[in-house]
This record gives sequence, C-alpha cells and structure tokens, in this order.
Amino acid sequence: MFKAKLKEAIICFSNPRVTLPYPFGPGNPVVEGFRGKLDIDETKCIGCGGCANVCPSRLIRFYDDGTVTRMQFVLDRCTYCGRCAEVCPEKAITMTQQFETATDDKSDLYIEQTLYMATCARCGRCFETTNSIDKIPTRRQRQGRNYLGPAMPHGAPAGAEGQS
Amino acid sequence: MHSTAYCQAVEQAAEITVPARGRYIRTILLELERIQSHLLWLGIAGHIIGFDTVLMQAWRIREPVMWLCEKITGNRKLLGMNLVGGVRRDIPQEIHAELLQVLAGIDKECKKVLDAITTDTTLFMRCENVGRISAADAVALSLLGPTARASGIGRDIRVDHPYAAYAEVGCQVIVETGEDIWSRVVVRMKETLEAVRIIRDCLALMPKGSIMADVTDRIPAGRIGLSSVEAPRGETHHFVITGEDSRPYRWKARAPTFQNLQGIPVMVQGENIADVPIGLGSMDPCFSCTERWETVDLRSGRVRVYSKAELQELCRKRYSIR
Repeated sequence: MFKAKLKEAIICFSNPRVTLPYPFGPGNPVVEGFRGKLDIDETKCIGCGGCANVCPSRLIRFYDDGTVTRMQFVLDRCTYCGRCAEVCPEKAITMTQQFETATDDKSDLYIEQTLYMATCARCGRCFETTNSIDKIPTRRQRQGRNYLGPAMPHGAPAGAEGQS
Repeated sequence: MHSTAYCQAVEQAAEITVPARGRYIRTILLELERIQSHLLWLGIAGHIIGFDTVLMQAWRIREPVMWLCEKITGNRKLLGMNLVGGVRRDIPQEIHAELLQVLAGIDKECKKVLDAITTDTTLFMRCENVGRISAADAVALSLLGPTARASGIGRDIRVDHPYAAYAEVGCQVIVETGEDIWSRVVVRMKETLEAVRIIRDCLALMPKGSIMADVTDRIPAGRIGLSSVEAPRGETHHFVITGEDSRPYRWKARAPTFQNLQGIPVMVQGENIADVPIGLGSMDPCFSCTERWETVDLRSGRVRVYSKAELQELCRKRYSIR
C-alpha cells in the first residue's frame, strides 16, 4: 500500500508541467499542416466545382445565375477533412491555422462569394468564369492587338503576342 | 476507426485492392488511436472512482500521441486519413524516429503506471470483484472488445478476421479471466503495450510504394460491402450498398457501445449504488452526441433541426416501442 503510493508520488514529482500557457503564452499551439477553418481566395477560384463534388458534408453549393456564379460555404457542417483544399486545381482553398472557431452566431461560419462570368465576344452569352479566362495567356481577342497592360499571369511579358 | 471500416466496406463492394503501404499506415493509425483511447479511458476510470492522480498522469502520457497524430495527419482527433482506395498522407521517413521515441516513452510510462497501481490496495478495493460479468453471460449477451476479453472471451476482429496489415504483423489477444473491473483495467493497459509493439513492427515491415490505389472509374452501383474493424471499445461493423454517382445507396454502422450496454443489468445486479458509475464507465461507453440532429435538403437548402424529444419519438416509432 505505502509502496504503491510512493511509486505514484515518484511518477508525479519526476514529471514537470506539460500544459501550455495557452491562451496567455506566446506562439501558436498548432503545428504546421494543421487543418483549421478553410479560407478561399476568390481571385484564384475558377469555379470548377471540384470542392463541391468531394465535400463529404456537401456544404459547398454552387448557383449558376447566368451572369454570375454564386458559391456558398456553410461551414457549421465542416468536418475539417481538407479534401476541398486537396483537390482544388488552383490552390484557391487553403486550410488555415485558425482553430478557435467556436461561436454563438452561425453567420460567422458562412462564406459566400460571387464569380463573374465572361461574355462570349461573338454571341454575347456568358460561358465561363473570368478567372479561368484570364489564365489563358492571350488578351488580343478581348483587349485589342496593341494591348500593353500588366504582365500575363503565366509569365508572358505584356504585349509579347501583339508583336508577332 | 469508422472511416477505415467504411472505406473497407466500399473497397470490398467495388473490388479495389489497397496498396500494402496504405494498409500499413492504416494499421499504425488504428493502433495510435487505440493507445490514446485506452489512456483516456484509464484517466476517466480513475476520475470516476476519485483517483484523480491517474487522470492527470494518464493524460500527460497520452498527450505526445495526440501531438504526433496532429503532425502526421493535421488534426489531433478525426484524423481524416482514409479514402476509398488507400490513405491521403504518407508517414515520411523523418517522422519515424520521432514516432519511435514517443512509443518508447509510452511503453516506459505505461509500465511504470501499471507497476504502481497494481499494488495499490485502495484501487483494488474499488475494482476487484466489482461489476462482474461471467464468461457465460458475456457470450449470451454478445459482449465485445475489452469487456468480453476481461471475462475470458478471446474475441478480437484483428485476429478472427484480419484486415489492414494485421495478417502480416500479427496481434496477441489479451485475455484476463478476472471477470471484474480490475481485469478490464489490466486488459486495456496490456493492449496499449501490444499496440506499441504492433506499430514498431509495422514501421519495420512497412514496404515502399504507393499509398493509394488507382481509383479512376466510378464505383459500380448495387454492390454490397461489409467490413469489421476492432475499435478500442469493441467491434465496429459497417454495411454498404453502393448507389448511383459513386454515392452510397444504403449505409448501416453498428458501434460496439450499444452491444456492450446490454451487459449493464447483469453487471449492476446486487452491487452498491456507488459502484454503478465505475461499472458503466468500465465499458468505455460512448453516448455520442445524438441529442440533436440536423437535416439539410440539398435542393432547397432547407435546414431542419430535430430536438432530443423528436428523436426519441422517431426512434420509438421506428422500433414500435410504446
């Protein structure tokens, strides 16, 4: 009996405090690669819908309104699996380090974004999101032959294709 | 645990073979989960009988496993590693050394704690010959997992129907014949040590290669899959009928707690009231968060929240209990 208590006391005293001084201490208690609340960069998103297809909770929804595509993220159902970030071809969705997501207001966990659809120069119908059109390294069709605007997304210098 | 069972059921239905490395990584994660679950249970059991030292110490020992899981998978719990066809992230060579170091720590500390508490008479008085379930009752009530193994029934899915990499690394079934709460403590502690052994063997035997099968086709509809996994609490069974569009048509999961709870009437018969909490706790029950249920209509976006009373009513209607 006494021996057992002594052994228990030795275990207790031979180990230092292991709890972190969270939330008063410095530093972030999560490691790199932690899957926190997701974040979406609307300048990168091309609206392909891959994330909505793989989401196990099916919390990502797409509405195609013709001129715009609306995307809704209802994150109160998110299980933080990170599949959306994994399949995103443009790396528009990232899992942040944010883990303090407890809230009494559900709208904190709601993201909505609107992607504008590009119009076809010939028929005038909307057919694709502008982000994905901007990826194509030619702007002659839309901006004119002597376009000298900012550099192209894929590294082609401005106006490069206009000189040929 | 459940994701492994579900993925295995779908893989069986669609006849997908998981690469060897994927199976080994699944085994390692299942055993890490078992270690943390058993240590968490030891702490809770200590807390129930008022022995809070063991709560603090068991959870201190458990914490490095949680950090390791976070490092490997990106989260402490809900590892999200399984996909139909394999696993999502590899366990790189750099983490092996750290993993082995954590395992050595667990091994050493568990033995120390086990050594200290086995001679503790206060603990013995609360646990020995309390909450007895005889072997005959355990068979009659189909008890599972550590609860059955502490009554001398050597039931273990890992050995009876090997899955993942258990056929290669083997697994020793821990059986105690005490039939009481103390035996359940000992079974769980020894299983923790066995889990450490399994992970070490897995790391040594793990082949190189891909972690995901090449799943490019749609999963055929109308196939049936059934898989069983030995969870820390007992057997988990998942049954799936595949449907159109690579989505399940029917899915049924049976977790071990419901089956183990059938042993409670036998266990508490003739016991003191004060022994009921630890008796119930010794089964490691998981009264999961089923008091609230939210359904979403994906077409209209309408959300309906069911309260506890509504769920009870539904349940009674379903099983015709009045």
